[in-house]
Amino acid sequence: MSYTLRGRIDSRLAAALGPALAAAALALVLHRWWPVEVAALMVGVGVALDLLLYDRALDYQPAWTALPLGALELGAVTALAIALDVRAPLPEAIGFFCGAWLLAQVLGHAVYPLLRLSYGDDGGELGRPGATSAAAVAALFLAAGGVAFATRPPVVTLSAGVHRGPIVIDRQEILQGKPGAVVRGGIVVHADGVVVRDLTVVGGENGIAVFGADRVRLEHVRVLGARLDGIHARLSGVVVRDCTVSTTSRWGQGIDLSYTAGRGMSAVEGCDVSGGREGIVTHGIDMAEISGNHVHGTSLRGIAITEMTMGEVSDNDVSGAHGVGIYCGDHSLCTIRRNVVAGTRGVGIQSFFYAEATLEDNTLVGNSVPTSAFANALLERSR
Amino acid sequence: MPARVAIVGGGLAGFVAYATLTRATPGSVSVTVFGAAGADPAATWRRRAAAIRQRRMRSESDGHCLPASFPGLAVRAAARRRSPWPLVRTACGGYRPTVAEFLEHVDELRRRIGWDDAHVTARVERIRAVDGGFELDGHGVFRHVLVATGHPGLNLPEELAGDPRAVHAYEPHDYAGEVCVVGAGMAAATEWLNALAAGARVVSVRRREPVRRPLNVPRRLFSRRGLAGYQALPPAERAAYLGELLSPSFPPGRAWDAALSSPRFSVAAEVNGAEQIVCATGFKRGFHHDPLLARLVSEHGLATHERWIRLDPDCTVPALTDETRTLALAGTPAQWAYPAADTLVGAKYAARGFLRRIQACPTR
Repeated sequence: MSYTLRGRIDSRLAAALGPALAAAALALVLHRWWPVEVAALMVGVGVALDLLLYDRALDYQPAWTALPLGALELGAVTALAIALDVRAPLPEAIGFFCGAWLLAQVLGHAVYPLLRLSYGDDGGELGRPGATSAAAVAALFLAAGGVAFATRPPVVTLSAGVHRGPIVIDRQEILQGKPGAVVRGGIVVHADGVVVRDLTVVGGENGIAVFGADRVRLEHVRVLGARLDGIHARLSGVVVRDCTVSTTSRWGQGIDLSYTAGRGMSAVEGCDVSGGREGIVTHGIDMAEISGNHVHGTSLRGIAITEMTMGEVSDNDVSGAHGVGIYCGDHSLCTIRRNVVAGTRGVGIQSFFYAEATLEDNTLVGNSVPTSAFANALLERSR
Repeated sequence: MPARVAIVGGGLAGFVAYATLTRATPGSVSVTVFGAAGADPAATWRRRAAAIRQRRMRSESDGHCLPASFPGLAVRAAARRRSPWPLVRTACGGYRPTVAEFLEHVDELRRRIGWDDAHVTARVERIRAVDGGFELDGHGVFRHVLVATGHPGLNLPEELAGDPRAVHAYEPHDYAGEVCVVGAGMAAATEWLNALAAGARVVSVRRREPVRRPLNVPRRLFSRRGLAGYQALPPAERAAYLGELLSPSFPPGRAWDAALSSPRFSVAAEVNGAEQIVCATGFKRGFHHDPLLARLVSEHGLATHERWIRLDPDCTVPALTDETRTLALAGTPAQWAYPAADTLVGAKYAARGFLRRIQACPTR
């Protein structure tokens, strides 16, 4: 078909109406914004390509080009979703895209030509129904944007200086600090979707504790001198990024994320963790991603993935652990790659008690024992 | 009372128009089809296709007579053969239905839409604009009339008229030992293959090198994307462009190339002493070759340009069309509005334009 520019946009937006409505319904059911965000990205990428590329490059568009163009759009939507930090589960988001693409093909090749005899002559233009569909899609996304804006979590900003804790957060909000803001006595999070950022936390039983909460993000926090753990999460889904945790407690851990009970992935990225018995430890969580951290001076283990956790430990720098640098234990499945483990008094990387650890491109220097596996555990080197 | 609508011409263009009107306006219009050559809408086309031994259609799956482009002949073939290949081939632009499949589809559609009930075997020789519509040669007054009389006749070069060796490609014929094929379009290329397959030596006589392109007209001119610019051209430029578009062409492809490289194939500048001359020279061109159109133009002073009647973009005759009545052309004479008007897709374009006028008519 030789589309006109308006025909491309009419056809695309009319085909997007169903997926947009489905996304809105899905968002209501799941209490998540990702379906609407993915649908908006799909429409945005498609219209941008129509305007900037397709209309100029494709004078005539044979039916088979729908496949490569669909793949191009899927790639662009995925890249943008990553860049914009759209937290969509990948299989579901790809399934949503493919369903919408398939619907658009059925509409474009069968339904529109049947409903509008001159569809081909008109270069894909749909006349008044096309304009109505476009308006409906725009209205739907505007409404979703309005709802998102109206229900966005409140932002609480702490001024520079010391604030007495513990601060207990029991609603969705963003707690952030101005430079020099310090909370003494810890922060306790009980609500979903909380963001804590740009703060220093001193003392407290745990520096930052999260209980029974989903989608919690701790970003650019500095945690010092907690009596037990620096960051402590139970039954929660937590992402910790770019933090500094210093623990002097004899029995505490630097970061302990445990027992997520089906709450999805937790992650620790880009943190500097020092002291404590274990620097970063996960017990019984579905998926753990521990990457790009610097862990040093721990009295037992640097990084520990244990109790049936499925974890990826990558690009970390672990040094000076008294016991084990990186530990995969108790029926866990670990992928351990591109880490540097140095100066461990015990074992560099250890797999223990029915755990399965896969090693790839790790650098082990100055450890008393480089690697070990025992009690029916496996340690495989893929390279 | 349903509006009276007439289609003058009982060939494929009239058939497509009838199928479009009956689908879109069931019961609200009464359509009568006047055809001079009997009730089979494919009779003329069938004879010509048989004469040049055409086996496959040049067009793709939407080169059919159904009002909507979906489901086309590829879908039909996939369902019948229980194979996805026709669909895959049409998605890649490579599906060519056989002539037999096409004709079978015409017969099926003819039964389904009640064509024979609407068809009157009569030659309309005069259309006269009157109050409330058009008087058709004693058959009454019709508010909306579509003229789809087809090609005005076979074009036989004057210098070959009366030559007993000469036969037009679209007339039944066999092949002699040496065949001179005049022309450079699709029919000529088909005749090269036919004569070579029959064991003949073939001499191709043509005024210019043939153009190789998949369809007569660039694809962009099948939709508003290209049509808007074409229809905005001033008359002289439009006529020149049409002349360029309608120059002889045949598709690229190995099957055609094989003929060109055969040792029994040669090219000559003029007809020589061959035993047989096949004139693949198409049809007479221009409204003045069609007595009905020539009379219509002269009696109503219609605007023309060279061999064309000037039409509005929807294939209607502007001087004889207003909100209460419509006179539209389909087929070759409508190329002024739609360059591919002589194809099935073009016939549908004219039919849809005609349909829109009928639907917009307050007194239909």
